[in-house]
Amino acid sequence: MDELISNSLILSKSVLIILSLLIIARCLRSLLSERYEAETWAYLRLGQELLPVTHWENLIGRSRGADIRVDRARVSRVHAVLTRNARGQWAIYDIFSRGGVWINGIKLGPRGAVIEDGDQINLGGTRLRFQNLSADKGRQLAEKRTSAGHRVSPFGTLLELSVFQIFLLLQHALVGGEHLPMIALCFGALLALEWFCYSSMRLLDRSGFEIETLAFYLSSLGLSVAASSVPEDLFKQMLLTIAGVALFLLTGWWLRSLRRVTAVRTLAALAALGLLAVNIVFSEEILGARNWLSFGGYSFQPSEFVKVLYLYVGASTLDRLYRRQNLFSFMIFSAVCVIALALIGDFGTALVFFVCFLVMSFLRSGSIATVLLALTGAGMAGVLAVSVRPHIAQRFASWGHVWEDIYGAGYQQARAMSAAAAGGLFGKGAGAGWLKNVVAADTDMVFAVVCEEQGLIIALCMVLAVLALAFFAVRAARYGRSSYYAIAACGAMAMLMTQTALNIFGTMDLLPFTGVTFPFVSRGGSSLLSCWMLMAFLKGSDTRRGASFVVSPLRFDEEDAGGEQA
Amino acid sequence: MKKITNRAVTLLLIAALIIAGLALYTIRYVDEGRDWALAFSRANSGSTGELSDRNGVLLASFDAVDNRYAADAATRIACYHVTGDYWGRSGSGALTWFWDDMHNYSLLTGTTHSSAMELKLNIDASLCRTAYEALDGQKGAILLMNYRSGELLCMVSSPSIDPLDNSEPPEGAFINRALAASFTPGSIFKLITAATAIETVPNMDGRSFYCEGEYEIAGVPIVCVGPHYTQNFEQALANSCNVAFAQIAIKAGQEHMVEHLRAYGFLDKHTLDGIPTAAGSYPLDFVGDPELGWSGIGQSTDLVNPYAMLRFVAAVANDGVLAEPHLIAGESGPFTRLIAEDTARQLAGMMNYNVVAGYGEERFPGLRLCAKTGTAELGDGTSHAWFTGFLADEAHPYAFVVLVERGGGGLSVASPIANTLLQAAVR
Repeated sequence: MDELISNSLILSKSVLIILSLLIIARCLRSLLSERYEAETWAYLRLGQELLPVTHWENLIGRSRGADIRVDRARVSRVHAVLTRNARGQWAIYDIFSRGGVWINGIKLGPRGAVIEDGDQINLGGTRLRFQNLSADKGRQLAEKRTSAGHRVSPFGTLLELSVFQIFLLLQHALVGGEHLPMIALCFGALLALEWFCYSSMRLLDRSGFEIETLAFYLSSLGLSVAASSVPEDLFKQMLLTIAGVALFLLTGWWLRSLRRVTAVRTLAALAALGLLAVNIVFSEEILGARNWLSFGGYSFQPSEFVKVLYLYVGASTLDRLYRRQNLFSFMIFSAVCVIALALIGDFGTALVFFVCFLVMSFLRSGSIATVLLALTGAGMAGVLAVSVRPHIAQRFASWGHVWEDIYGAGYQQARAMSAAAAGGLFGKGAGAGWLKNVVAADTDMVFAVVCEEQGLIIALCMVLAVLALAFFAVRAARYGRSSYYAIAACGAMAMLMTQTALNIFGTMDLLPFTGVTFPFVSRGGSSLLSCWMLMAFLKGSDTRRGASFVVSPLRFDEEDAGGEQA
Repeated sequence: MKKITNRAVTLLLIAALIIAGLALYTIRYVDEGRDWALAFSRANSGSTGELSDRNGVLLASFDAVDNRYAADAATRIACYHVTGDYWGRSGSGALTWFWDDMHNYSLLTGTTHSSAMELKLNIDASLCRTAYEALDGQKGAILLMNYRSGELLCMVSSPSIDPLDNSEPPEGAFINRALAASFTPGSIFKLITAATAIETVPNMDGRSFYCEGEYEIAGVPIVCVGPHYTQNFEQALANSCNVAFAQIAIKAGQEHMVEHLRAYGFLDKHTLDGIPTAAGSYPLDFVGDPELGWSGIGQSTDLVNPYAMLRFVAAVANDGVLAEPHLIAGESGPFTRLIAEDTARQLAGMMNYNVVAGYGEERFPGLRLCAKTGTAELGDGTSHAWFTGFLADEAHPYAFVVLVERGGGGLSVASPIANTLLQAAVR
């Protein structure tokens, strides 16, 4: 009997590792090696040349970085912005060019102008003619684009993930215990949830499922950790995953229309500040940070939802960026968020916001000076924080020395590293570790729990899954319709990668221990919900043909309300 | 758009930092993972372990609740440098070096449970007690092994401690003198000079050496206990004649001396089942004849590690082939030729002649002993007492090294201790 169990354990371990590698490899291959082709929305005719308009927001100018490059004398490096609004109307704005812009011979004012098929655009003497696409032509071009999922079948990847989850469940079954029926139920629910998502996407004629697959892969590891550390809370965790997916779909649907998105940005900013204010006033302190709010038995972390709002507010469309050339309000908003988090004592999350701010402000401005300035400021603030907050100072003091004080300051990390090493490359099997009994193991040290139970290889796959999402954000940004989606997707991945880095390197004693969560894997409601919502931003940047439910299919009929249709 | 989206590569910078961090972690994991894993494994894996000697005497045992050592204090003290302690204070203890053998750690599978890991040593705890008692509180080291099989039966270093005694330990108690230190060898070094000469100087047996009690080389005197007058090679070793051996070393030449010392393993560090030992030393840069003479009789800057000496005499005893010593029972080999067979045989014969014609067999009743004494002058009036050799006895194939630090004469101080040890070993 013992031999049977140990043999099944060895079998399931090898299957899990092979499937992990396969799933990550397939998603990576699908996300990175598929053809990304620009969408064509209209043309600008320059003499005999036909310049395609490939985004909803296009920079026109002499610069190499311009989307529509007009390399003529008297055309400024960045001259004008051509945008398409949600109703399918095109507008042009002069962005402080020296030569000026004339439409059909009329000088363009500061508010820009709507242009139509056949209009003549004069950029400081260079004449272009705007040609909108006819519905037929537009459809024809759209049909030619390669659709997502044709190279690596998302169905196959999801099937592999399902087998992965079944073997994970099998490992829990080998350990046994009174909670096994509940664990089985929750794994069943997860399977049902992911196949429901997949079928819904197919019904909507969407074929990109890599982002969801990676998120579900991480979720199943998270579920496994929860099943071994707090089986009595597992059902709640499962419900939260369902809620997370629901929020993912809802956020994605909301993001479909840029007009809708931009209309409530101010409201979102106020909501973010409000949440933080409520947090500062009403929160209770847990483990040195006051980042929890309790409502009649339910507690949640407002900062996790502020993350989503921060991205929502921080991303911006191109025309806006060029028409108001400063980061001032964004910097103030960011500073307030980071300072509020520091006041709350949640320095890990403050750091996550800060890195996200750096990435987004660099995306928005391209100014390294701004980034350096912000870094200097933050460095000084950090020194201040360390000197004021004793528990932060202690974490810095024990950083790199956890083995010298394994019963004091290094208590958690020394145990985490020991358990992680005790797991070896293949792990001890789900539920068979001991680290889960240490405080906060399934949140702050979840990487070590996965190392111990599933082995180093799967733990590394887990990090690789996050990196795969980031690689995709970089790749997809180039083909986004609006800079809003690209900036939001990159900001989201900056957040998730920073969280990952702080989580794993804090556990490994390569960075001070900050106690942030590992995306999707750490146990916790608020963070799980916010991770799923961040995925919606990532989906918004996926413009491969028929890939994402957040991106509406190309429509050219004027009567139709553009991106509005749901 | 392009201007903005090109900046998205900043994300790759973060990704690169994460990958670099993971690489660093993985390197540390491979390098130190064993230490990490075992730091808490005893408490957390519920594993139990036992360390015992060749006769099943318990040297240490542990489980999730407690750490234990041998039952009686004499064994705990005598075997301290074999056993070590749970805090790793001794540089050589089995608890330090074989911890993972008692826990089943490997990089692939991490720690694996096993109901009770047992580790048996070749050590004979009662022999260690005898040896430690024979040292009678003097500083020193004693080693005894089976030169046919390589089993290490006795390893003692003095001063030692009782790991259960919390009082202030004597100075140097945590150093295992048998492995981790090297000492001026004095006349036992003549065995090495002799072996080198047999292999490099033609017609050693036909030569004779004349000793007036003192001999000048380039104005520097070599002092001898003699005068020994005319003697052949064999008699010169039995007399331990400094005059003769200074001349022999010069005849062999520094190059040959160094070459052979290296071949016999005196200049290198070794490992005893993974436990590192100290290297010896010898003048490697060119020195003149006077210095070469002095170094040929084990003075000058010579240092010999007791464990290296044990390997050498064990090879001499085993016709030149060294059965690598092992502390862990069941380990065996490799068997390496250290010395040419003829050389080893001749040297063994000379070492027997030492006992028969020099020291007197009556000192070692019933033992067929081949040995060499050493009295290493330290220049301050004190000397290390050495006695090393082996039993030419198929039933008791034991090679040994006895060192008493600043103990006095090799024959008067070290040889009685060796006799006590050997009598106990053959019983």
